[in-house]
Amino acid sequence: MIELPDLAAGGLALGTLSALALGGGLLRSRRRLAVQRAEIARLRGQLDGVLQMFTSEVEHLAAQRVPAAARQLTHPNVLVPGPLQPRTSSSPLGIGLESVLRSLRAELVAQRTRIDAAAQAGMRGATREIQAALYRLQDALRKLQQEYDEPELTQTLFQLDHENEQSLRRAQVAAVVCGAWVGLAREESHLVDAVTGGQARLSGYHRVRVNNHLEAGTALVSHAVEPVAIIVAELLDNALRHSAPDTDVVVNLEQVHHGVCVTIDDAGVGMTQDERARAQGLVAGSEPVLLTDLGDPPRMGFAAIGQLTRQFDLGVDVSSPSAYGGVRAVLRVESHLLSHVDPVEQPPAASAPRSTRKPARDGTAVSVASHGFGAEGDDGASTAVSGHQSPRDAGELPQRRRRVRATGEEAGAPKKQPVRRPADSAAALGALQSGTAAARAGDDTDQTDVEGGAAR
Amino acid sequence: MTGRRGGRPLVPAYLSTGGVARPSRSHLERLSVLTAAGPPAPAELPAAGLALLDVLAGGSLTVVEAAALLRLPVSAVRVLAADLIDRGLLLSRAPIPAADRFDPDLLKRVADGLRALKH
Repeated sequence: MIELPDLAAGGLALGTLSALALGGGLLRSRRRLAVQRAEIARLRGQLDGVLQMFTSEVEHLAAQRVPAAARQLTHPNVLVPGPLQPRTSSSPLGIGLESVLRSLRAELVAQRTRIDAAAQAGMRGATREIQAALYRLQDALRKLQQEYDEPELTQTLFQLDHENEQSLRRAQVAAVVCGAWVGLAREESHLVDAVTGGQARLSGYHRVRVNNHLEAGTALVSHAVEPVAIIVAELLDNALRHSAPDTDVVVNLEQVHHGVCVTIDDAGVGMTQDERARAQGLVAGSEPVLLTDLGDPPRMGFAAIGQLTRQFDLGVDVSSPSAYGGVRAVLRVESHLLSHVDPVEQPPAASAPRSTRKPARDGTAVSVASHGFGAEGDDGASTAVSGHQSPRDAGELPQRRRRVRATGEEAGAPKKQPVRRPADSAAALGALQSGTAAARAGDDTDQTDVEGGAAR
Repeated sequence: MTGRRGGRPLVPAYLSTGGVARPSRSHLERLSVLTAAGPPAPAELPAAGLALLDVLAGGSLTVVEAAALLRLPVSAVRVLAADLIDRGLLLSRAPIPAADRFDPDLLKRVADGLRALKH
């Protein structure tokens, strides 16, 4: 029989044991809890840190990196700062942020192009109208120049014509920059005419000296005439603008292996390396032009050249400095844009400089090449001397041509200017008279001598 | 491209005289006769001046004829010619007055006289 006190003692012992066991378990679990708490606290702290870093990265993106990326599109020298923590760039967060910048750039470029295209279309329409109006004005002015020759009026007309040419140049260049056609169809023309025409469009055209070393008759195919004139005008404008007003700008037209080169040298301040690189990029026309890239006020000259070189397969180089200290610009016209115009049938403009290729500067030789009389006289010497027109221009209106040279050749006087000063005439008549008198006197030798003198 | 001759000229007229429209001498008229004076043209002459001497190389022309050949306005040729006259490269003569009609009666009498000589 178990006694009650034993029972009680046993129960107590059991209770103590279980209490001990429970207490141990409790203690252990409490320790584990503490560890877990510490872990949670640490994790929370880490999470807070990450969140803060994330926030600051995004803030940095919004405040610094996005504006810089936007500005970099217009100013390539701007550096886009990286993330705050260099480690972020390789993390998924960094990659995500980078893709934000990338799509932002793409969208901005697309928007800029779209807006610029709209602006260009607007300007194209406006300048085309202006250009057409200025051509009409030019027609009117030239008609007036032909009709009236009073000096005072002509002076005004010349000034107006020149002003009009300059306005026309500006309107045309703006239109070309905006992707328009040059606006005028010309026929095949002498290259020197295109260059001289370009020269006439500038306010400082007095300072331009053109040396023409081309063969007579070197011409441009019709669609290249106006582009070459525009390019030459813009290159000359740049040269005149950046050189002192008392210096000359020298233009040389030279034959090269693949065509013709127009070299423009100025004695101005020249361009820095950066400017030269930028100008070369613009005139090469390799990239499409944005109006917003041209500055304010927009500098359109080089951009227009770039458009034209791309469209018409012309080559322009402004990368080398000139021997005169300024800029040397070279326009290269390839052979496929060149043609030949008969300088006799269709002489170059009177103001266009002569080719230096002709043998000499004696009047008759030049006249043979530049006007029809002499050369036709050569033909006419074998065919019938009609005095009007040769069969080859039968389709045109009859034109009065003089035959002086032909008769001169028949008479066997190869090179004699049929010019008579009054004194010469008197001498000739006097000689004739004395010759006649001598002949009447019957002296033969005297006669020939005097006649020889008279013919001179 | 358009195929017509002599479209819009590339080189404006004012370039021929360097923008000057007032001739240095005022007696030149449209029908004044110009003649090259003989001395060879100096090389530094402006291109248009040389061109004017060239068209006169074969003989004399009136101002208006030279203008048509050079495709310049008469006013420009007057400036060029006046300059060349100043340089002694050109001679000018007053316009040839319009000829009076010959008296037909006089002509007839001359013809009769000539015939009488022949017989």
